[in-house]
Amino acid sequence: IEVDMAAQAETLKTVFNDPKNFNVKHPLYSAWTLWFDSPATKGRNLPQTPVTANTRRAAAHGWMEDIKRVINIDSVEEFWGLYNNILPPSALPQKANYYLFKEGIIPAWEDEANKLGGKWSIQLPKEKNRRHVDTLWLYTMLAAIGETFDPYLTDPELLEPHPESLVTGVIVSSRPQFYRISIWTRSAPGINSEDDDKLRQRIEGIGRHFKTSVLGYNEGQKLAGPLATEVEFISHKDSEKKGKGRKITV
Amino acid sequence: SGATKNVVAALPSALATARVIEDLDHISYPEGISSPKPELNTNSKKGKFRYDRDFLLQFMKVCTEKPDVPLDVIGLEAVGEQQHYPMTRTSSGRHRTSSTA
Repeated sequence: IEVDMAAQAETLKTVFNDPKNFNVKHPLYSAWTLWFDSPATKGRNLPQTPVTANTRRAAAHGWMEDIKRVINIDSVEEFWGLYNNILPPSALPQKANYYLFKEGIIPAWEDEANKLGGKWSIQLPKEKNRRHVDTLWLYTMLAAIGETFDPYLTDPELLEPHPESLVTGVIVSSRPQFYRISIWTRSAPGINSEDDDKLRQRIEGIGRHFKTSVLGYNEGQKLAGPLATEVEFISHKDSEKKGKGRKITV
Repeated sequence: SGATKNVVAALPSALATARVIEDLDHISYPEGISSPKPELNTNSKKGKFRYDRDFLLQFMKVCTEKPDVPLDVIGLEAVGEQQHYPMTRTSSGRHRTSSTA
């Protein structure tokens, strides 16, 4: 059967045109995987990640046994179907985490995509943010899947047709006293000296977008306090140094 | 009835059969729905799009289909109806009410 392209174009129906019988969906820039863990998942779920000979993955394997891979999504419509059917962070059990990572990247610093990177994060006292955290996490996920975190990618002067985003994943953690939201990046300033200024600017741009557009604070606003931190970046390499790492704040 | 339910469940959902949009310019949204901010996609490759938050939030009330995977302890039904839609103040401010009267 020959398809008349013009006629077909006229019958493209999005979920807004026809919620039951739409025939096109909005692809995400990258496919994503949602992972989850809590004390309840420990030792109960095996990861569905294919076992590989990769030694870094093997190193992460012990920890990965406690984390459950929930689902892969690659469209806006699927994201919301998932979002509308799972608990928000405020309703998660104690010591639980959601990890939304690009498909193929495991949410561990041992992964090739993460090992030279770092994370932007903020810690928020639980009592004051119980209601607020759900919105902040939603906005964090939307900036991730919409791929608006990395200012380099949103530069209208951009000439490269399909540049790689620096973001590998986002995490929300629920702890007895606080919530933490993190943005993981593929690279971190100070790891490779090459083009470090450019990279630092790009990383700081992600932090500023996170603090102002996603979390809704003013640039330069002081946030640290009891159980609260600034919006701060630290490389995974420096995180290992227990308190001696250099932090960037915005 | 139970039989009707089974037939409905067996049909593939629109989500499963819908094709991926290759060119956003070919899409016309109904009145009241805004397109993604064009500056995010000035140089976009086929099917590689970036979306702003306001565009994405428009889907919240429309796309509610439960994914076909076990959601286990994070699924809303695991904790009962009262947990439904605890958000949000972000869109219309309306909350979905529980269907268990």
